[in-house]
Amino acid sequence: MGGSAAMIGVLRSELFKLRTTRATKVIVVCSVVLPAIIFTLTSMLAFGNGEVGDSLVSMVGNFAPLTGLLLGVVGVLCSTQEYSQGTIRITLVATPNRLTVLIAKLLTTVVVSTVSSVLMLLLCLLPSQLILSSRNIDFVTIDTDVRILFSAVILSVFLSILGLSLGLVFKSSPGAISALLLWPTILEGMVFGLLSVAFDRNMMKFAPVQGNGFRLIAQYTDESNSWAVSLAVFSAFVAVFAVLGAVFFSRRDA
Amino acid sequence: MIVVENLTKSYGSKKAVDSLSFSVAPGRVTGFLGPNGSGKSTTMRCMLGLDRPDTGHVLFDGKAYTEFERPLTHVGSLLDAGDAHKGRTARNHLRWIALTHGISVQRVDQVLQMVGMTEAANTRVGKFSLGMRQRLGLAAALLGDPQVVILDEPANGLDPEGIRWTREVMRHLADEGRSVLVSSHQLVELSLVADDLVVIGQGSLISSGPISQFMTQHAKTWVRVVSPSIDALAELVRLAGGTIEKTPEGVDFHGISAATIGEIAAKNNLVLHELSPQIGSLEQAFLDATDASVEYRGESATSTWAAPQQ
Repeated sequence: MGGSAAMIGVLRSELFKLRTTRATKVIVVCSVVLPAIIFTLTSMLAFGNGEVGDSLVSMVGNFAPLTGLLLGVVGVLCSTQEYSQGTIRITLVATPNRLTVLIAKLLTTVVVSTVSSVLMLLLCLLPSQLILSSRNIDFVTIDTDVRILFSAVILSVFLSILGLSLGLVFKSSPGAISALLLWPTILEGMVFGLLSVAFDRNMMKFAPVQGNGFRLIAQYTDESNSWAVSLAVFSAFVAVFAVLGAVFFSRRDA
Repeated sequence: MIVVENLTKSYGSKKAVDSLSFSVAPGRVTGFLGPNGSGKSTTMRCMLGLDRPDTGHVLFDGKAYTEFERPLTHVGSLLDAGDAHKGRTARNHLRWIALTHGISVQRVDQVLQMVGMTEAANTRVGKFSLGMRQRLGLAAALLGDPQVVILDEPANGLDPEGIRWTREVMRHLADEGRSVLVSSHQLVELSLVADDLVVIGQGSLISSGPISQFMTQHAKTWVRVVSPSIDALAELVRLAGGTIEKTPEGVDFHGISAATIGEIAAKNNLVLHELSPQIGSLEQAFLDATDASVEYRGESATSTWAAPQQ
């Protein structure tokens, strides 16, 4: 059993672990189905005046943070459940090379979040387009649609990696999930809002998640960073936690 | 063959394991004994690469655990019966472990059958009793058909039938030529199955070798005598340097051999109804051997435990 065969075995094992726990299955399904239901209902009930004012894709993109944060929770569970249920010892006894385990967990998280976010986009867009077309309602397309779709997937993947990393740092679900959800939704706004007041200028564009990560799916404004800068800032933020998580995972006794 | 050499592991300023060395031979069941907090579990975790020792190493047939490409096919372990996701079924628990090594589903079903859990294969672990989880843990340890088996308290929570079954499994594994290292607080059970003992206290080695050697070194021995002329015999034994203790079963002579007592009785025409050498239990020998290294000790059960009156 060579290195690549071992890697494939561990990867299959990690995917199997995710598939066989109820919590992860429920959250993955929610991350895909919830936005699809809301958007389909919106398409059915709204847009009665014969025209959709905004690009459908950009409206669907607004659901990406929700999907991303839910997939971030899956990332958290991918690591913390091992500690809370004691299976981390069996995982490391079966695969003593911690780097292999770490890479397998990372790849699993990336695969699950990519597939889920693509599925979410498809389930949002296809039924809505069919519904609107059948009602002869026009919907506009804009030249940034492809970029928004791409960004929605990137955002989900990065948030799930952030979740996995926070899980490896905290080792407990409540701590890691709180950090994952509270920082971007509440704390980051408060911190950078205060900084904006203190420095008398808009500091939100330095906020890694709200000011950059979530901006990936939004239209560019003068106040915000460009797409490339936002991507760089957000990926650097996620990378810091990924490195921290990897260091903790490699060095800690199990 | 397991070789532990000069293993030391500290947590902060506390040394959990201190320069520990011992070996576990193939074809034998080796009991791993020590009071609570003596470092048994830490030693086992260091053996399996879960904790990093400060110094020393552990070799399995000449290789460190982390050097094996497919470790479960060399070393099987059961560290804690609780190490299973409560929401997974028993079969799925074994399947994710099997996937890491490319072990077939047929083997998963085979080990479930070996531990008597075929009927419960599709039941969630959260619904299992501690004894069922122990069986599942043992199934996981045997999944890779390893040559070395390490078990931490495998009989914990099992009913008498389960305890006997565990004993038979360990004996069977050793008879197949495997090295079996088992820690247990159930000394009576261990005395029935172990060939060798490794006894530690406060992280250091107290004794290592065959169980008979440990008993010779640490167990109390005496001679039980039943005789119609016990008072006369007792006086003669006392003169020969022995000490006497009266018990409901007869009289126990300490510090003198059965042969010497027999010769004294023969010389003095004293009739003996029983003359039998006695040896203390493994439990007593263990308690005596580890008495100085017990870290957490409860108050004597003969003390008054009533709450103080207001």
